[in-house]
Amino acid sequence: MQRDVGSLPLAPALRARLVAAGFQTAQELLDTGPCGLSKEIGISKEEALEALQVVRQECHSDATQTAGAPGTSRKCTALELLEQEQAQGFIITFCSALDNILGGGVQLTKITEICGEPGVGKTQLCMQLAVDVQIPECFGGLAGEAVFIDTEGSFMVDRVVDVATACVQHCQLIAEAHQEEDHLKALETFSLESILSHIYYFRCRDYIELLAQVYLLPDFLSEHSKVRLVVIDGIAFPFRHDFEDLSLRTRLLNGLAQQLIIIANDHKAAVVLTNQMTTRIGQSQSTLVPALAAAVPAKEAAIPAGGHCPNLHAG
Amino acid sequence: MALLRAALCPGLTAQMVPLLRASGVRTVVDFVSSDLEDVAQKCSLSYKALVAVRRVLLAQFSAFPANGADLYEELKSSTAILSTGIPSLDKLLDSGLYTGEVTELMGAPGSGKTQVCLSIAASMSLGLKQHVLFLDSTGGFTASRLYQMLQAQAEDEEEQLEALQRVQVTRVFDVYEMLRALQELRDSLSQQVLSSTGPLKVVLIDSVSAVIYPLLGGKQSEGLALMMQLARELKMLAREFSLAVVVTNQVTRDSSAGPLKPALGRSWSFVPSTRVLLQSKEATSEKTNTRRIASLAKSPRQPTGIQVVLDVGSGGAQELSPATPTQGL
Repeated sequence: MQRDVGSLPLAPALRARLVAAGFQTAQELLDTGPCGLSKEIGISKEEALEALQVVRQECHSDATQTAGAPGTSRKCTALELLEQEQAQGFIITFCSALDNILGGGVQLTKITEICGEPGVGKTQLCMQLAVDVQIPECFGGLAGEAVFIDTEGSFMVDRVVDVATACVQHCQLIAEAHQEEDHLKALETFSLESILSHIYYFRCRDYIELLAQVYLLPDFLSEHSKVRLVVIDGIAFPFRHDFEDLSLRTRLLNGLAQQLIIIANDHKAAVVLTNQMTTRIGQSQSTLVPALAAAVPAKEAAIPAGGHCPNLHAG
Repeated sequence: MALLRAALCPGLTAQMVPLLRASGVRTVVDFVSSDLEDVAQKCSLSYKALVAVRRVLLAQFSAFPANGADLYEELKSSTAILSTGIPSLDKLLDSGLYTGEVTELMGAPGSGKTQVCLSIAASMSLGLKQHVLFLDSTGGFTASRLYQMLQAQAEDEEEQLEALQRVQVTRVFDVYEMLRALQELRDSLSQQVLSSTGPLKVVLIDSVSAVIYPLLGGKQSEGLALMMQLARELKMLAREFSLAVVVTNQVTRDSSAGPLKPALGRSWSFVPSTRVLLQSKEATSEKTNTRRIASLAKSPRQPTGIQVVLDVGSGGAQELSPATPTQGL
């Protein structure tokens, strides 16, 4: 496997020096060894050793991928993907109209964006989803946990208590109607306390905290492997006010979007973002459009909740 | 600029390399451009041996000029024109995707780029029975949507499943992963590993801007270098292995009322030979808008500005038939 030196994830200054010294492939670097490398380029032995470790890791992961190592390999045929998608569950919203538009509910491994005017119910829907993701499998849920990243401070715990209580009651009614053993067993663990304890809440006050939280999320998710939903309530808020450099904003949002897709894909979680609406003033009329629309390529349909979505809450 | 190594060419022995290095001759370019008599004296090596080595190095490393007529013959025999399966898009592209070239689809989010890519993958895999490689960097590849398109085009379930197996999907969310995937492809094609790959003719990359955008701009200098690395990989793949490479790109505006222009800047604009802009038609009274306008923004063969209307509805991207005005989901 002859990897080009320019395509290895090394520091740019180091890469430039390697290319200037005449190294072309990763194999040449590995052959030279750390002492030779530090002499050729004029870097310390520790730096050369670190660089060679990175190169070795890259080449090693190349080799394992071509050997067909399962698990972290992201290569598959469309048929295998279809089977995976068909076996995947959805997070239901308890609003059948909404579930119908979404094709069954909020999809795992995809990013869903919810946008709407202030007060229309975006945070309510997110809280509902954070409870719904925890419904046990025998009731048709995913038995997962939820991460809630709040940037606007609109998360009300008493409201979540209401939603959770209603959801537990709903499941109890189903269990009474069907009288099956696994239903009753699942209900023992599905209580208000367990629901609340499985919603991991993070409060981010500005865009730097938000970015840091998202970049640290993969480590958190590897420890808590049952998380199936990541909600970022208010992705527009930290980026809209007080941001002078617009190109930096676009770059940060794009990087954030890529990081979220990696999280959604690797951990089989659904990522839900809420967005604000802004007015685009046209020539003859003005229209309401989602803010930050062009910057964050949302993967699923944005639902412009116009306030006429019935039965949004379970209780 | 390759380093001089012991086994680089037959005449270059392990003893010669450190001697040459001591007198300042480190790379092939240094060797070939230096005065050999001087070097022979300084390193106390035989002049004849050095001349022989130079001849071999020149043969190995220099590029040879080709005759225009030979090039044309070679092009005629190796280039294929692959129909995309969408007649109106074929008209735009001068009868289809040309192998050996990079074609770009650009548009705003929701303009139908991924749908057109899926449609191309479906028709190539089903109609032309070609293997397709889909590099997905946005998470937008939905196998059930591809299956839906295949179901609309073929009745037989066996055929549909076979077609699905011919589409190879690799998820790359990072520019280094994308470079790695492309180099893996290059290695497997040059070693002619047939096994699961089969006759690969089309590589679809959705999207290139998603992995490059976070690196461009500001004080970062490596973004441009990585972008050009990627460009070089794509062009090399297309040219050496006669593949048709399709990439998708975003669009930006200079100001809020300015015209749409492709993202990734001027340096990237030299990479694709053909550029197609996808736009949604202005919202009409119907709720479900599946119509898209594709216009030619750059082409080596056709005049730019040609527009066609596509429908990205349930059967995959199709041209709009004049009889049925709407074809909702």
